Amino acid sequence: MRGSHRKTGYMGKIMVVDLSNGTIETETIPHTVYESFLSGMGLAAHVLYHRIPEGVDPLGPDNMLGFVSGLLTGTGSLFTGRWMIASKSPLTGTWGEANCGGNFSPAIKRCGVDGIFFKGTSPKPVYLYVDDNRAELRDATLIWGKDTVETEEYFIEKHFLNEDGFIRSDSSLQDNSLNEKELKKYRRKKVAVACIGPSGEKLSLISGVSTDKGRMAARSGLGAVMGSKRLKAVVLSGTRRIHPHNREEIKRLSRICNRWVQFQPPLMPGFLTAPVGALMRLMPWVMTQDGLLYKIFLRKWGTVSMNQISVEMGDSPIKNWKGTSSDWGFFKSLSSNPDTFTEKETQKYHCYSCPLGCGGICKTTGKYQKTHKPEYETVLSLGGFVMNKDMDIIFQLNEMLNRAGMDTISAGHVVAFAMECYENGLITKEDTDGVPLKWGEPDAITWLIEKMISREGIGDILADGVKRASMHIGEKSTTFAAHAGGQELAMHDGRNDPGYALHYSVEAAPGRHTYGSGIYYEMYQLWKRVKGIPKIAPFYSKKSKYVPDKKHARIGKANSEFMNIMNGSGVCMFGGFMGANRIRIFDWLNAATGWNHTPEKYMEIGSQIQTLKQAFNIKQGVEPSTLALKERVIGHPPQEKGANKGRSVPLETMMEDYWELYGWDKKTGKPSPEQIEAVSRI
Amino acid sequence: MSFFITKECTGCMACLLICPSQAIKGEKKEPHTIQDELCIDCGACGRVCAFQAVLDNFGDIASRIPKKDWDRPVFNLDTCISCNICTDTCPTNALESKLQKPKNLHTYPWLAREKDCIACGFCALECPVDAIEMKKENEGI
Repeated sequence: MRGSHRKTGYMGKIMVVDLSNGTIETETIPHTVYESFLSGMGLAAHVLYHRIPEGVDPLGPDNMLGFVSGLLTGTGSLFTGRWMIASKSPLTGTWGEANCGGNFSPAIKRCGVDGIFFKGTSPKPVYLYVDDNRAELRDATLIWGKDTVETEEYFIEKHFLNEDGFIRSDSSLQDNSLNEKELKKYRRKKVAVACIGPSGEKLSLISGVSTDKGRMAARSGLGAVMGSKRLKAVVLSGTRRIHPHNREEIKRLSRICNRWVQFQPPLMPGFLTAPVGALMRLMPWVMTQDGLLYKIFLRKWGTVSMNQISVEMGDSPIKNWKGTSSDWGFFKSLSSNPDTFTEKETQKYHCYSCPLGCGGICKTTGKYQKTHKPEYETVLSLGGFVMNKDMDIIFQLNEMLNRAGMDTISAGHVVAFAMECYENGLITKEDTDGVPLKWGEPDAITWLIEKMISREGIGDILADGVKRASMHIGEKSTTFAAHAGGQELAMHDGRNDPGYALHYSVEAAPGRHTYGSGIYYEMYQLWKRVKGIPKIAPFYSKKSKYVPDKKHARIGKANSEFMNIMNGSGVCMFGGFMGANRIRIFDWLNAATGWNHTPEKYMEIGSQIQTLKQAFNIKQGVEPSTLALKERVIGHPPQEKGANKGRSVPLETMMEDYWELYGWDKKTGKPSPEQIEAVSRI
Repeated sequence: MSFFITKECTGCMACLLICPSQAIKGEKKEPHTIQDELCIDCGACGRVCAFQAVLDNFGDIASRIPKKDWDRPVFNLDTCISCNICTDTCPTNALESKLQKPKNLHTYPWLAREKDCIACGFCALECPVDAIEMKKENEGI
């Protein structure tokens, strides 16, 4: 054969774009980096740790923003279409990361790189266009101000000419210089777009990055970093092939995984999910969850399948963490039963390489005629969390926020915060143009979110999240601001599952729910593949969840490590939930790379990534202990009724145990200089 | 790596026009070259070359095949899992997904732009459940 492609699953290169001077360079990354940190988020941690200076202003030119794909993306594995963005978060001042599906992840690798990193600040709005043999920064003045859907449609029209060869006559298009031969090629081009909306442009600290007209990498406020760099979009149109070491083995493992995905027995109607949650609340013990059941729910309904279950069992916080499941009982939450959403579904939405299809496209009535099916987090944060029963409004708000590029989780928290401030006289009608911010009032919720998107009036204060808003409104409001390190929390209550409280508090990017919890660990079933980690019994006492001990610390550590492996590989968490013997992530990694690592070795890699991200925070002057949850969200004082009655989370001890297990200082959460040196010298 | 254009090339540009990855360079009536870094081994250049000027990645001369005889993807929708791997991997964007089964909201792939298909077979190669076969139009399933 004439030479050979690198057959490792990863592309071995990154692209670095300096927006200040317009230079674009491609760099080769040594294999040792991939062997130490995988690709994806691990690669981003490696690059950003070394290249972002100490104490950098997150919205300044010296901060960097990385778009990364996973090691397993494009190798023939399933559930591996996640892409991620990482940077220093302007919302928390810590390591910031967000994760998203859609079709953008393989598009990065098809441009020949595993990640695209931006530094500097452009003097004018630009977008990056990359195809097989060119990477260019182009003028985005015309699309600055457009929402995320309009932006994506603009690029699809511009770069993907239809069969009639239609091309816009817009004089600003730089493609006018193309000759007929090139135009003929362009007719076949497809593009993948990641972009910000008006929220990111206006530097809202709760803004994210959108792809596929409404899939959002929403967390950590990284849309604002993109906006600060005046980078409107990343438009990718490469066709490179992705070569795993052993494609046939990967396909064999994919078929094993797929057999479990296709197992889909009939399910009860949606409103009967509530009694399931109620039963889980009433039982004195926990029945260990097999993620296959959740897979069945996801395939039928999507993440909204958990709406009523979560409320009933106490997983979903109600009324800004102050309410309880008894404040949002069966009849109040009934409108959010999962059938409400699937009834409006016109087609299922599959991310790249996903055989499950938990997403959907819904037909709606109102200003917007269709939207991505709202996710569980969106429905609850704009539903029970603000005491809103009107689901039609949630469909509209979902589309409005996706188009603005604003995080729905944080937006719901801000609305709830404002309503509680209003209830307590800290915000008055004078601040709200006479609009009464009453709990559950759809018009008030819509008005507030419109103001946050446009950053007008009180919306300007609220658009940067609850922590900054409470600093502006005054000390009395701090109790109403639920956050970890500045980031609003997800719709999972640590008082029900203390694992969430731990990971909200100890992760380098605080306030995110996707790193771990007790129930995640049960579903991952990691003990079936990894030696030396705790096995969970089929039933266990609920009270035992609140006892801080080494076992729970070990579970927390394993969760973090496994999520780092998944984020390094581009694996969807919902795939991981099916269980380690059904989705063979470790074996896929060996087949993709040609390595022969044990699961324990991969967990060590996950540990290294965790230390590197923590080292990033230390370098930036973050005190990890300051990121801990406080007050009502951890049951201080405990609630007096509802599913989480009498519960409080022994968070301080849990954090100390977790840090100690990593070998970091158990009081401060700081790795030793030797530990930092070990991960940073690679 | 990969495909290679020999001095037999007449510069007819047939390969340059069909190459989906912009890997072929050359002026009209001048010998063309393939950029290793960009070539994706789709073989389209060899299939259209009338002058036996393209060597495949084993060093053998690639045979010209009339376009009407090219294999096309045929989808087994009973096996297909709607994962979009085929539509993504198609270098010419010839495939799309749409609703195809009654009372089934999952979308399935189809050859939306047959004239753009270059018979590379990447869709069949990468399909994790082997739901795609490359066949000539009249071969049936």
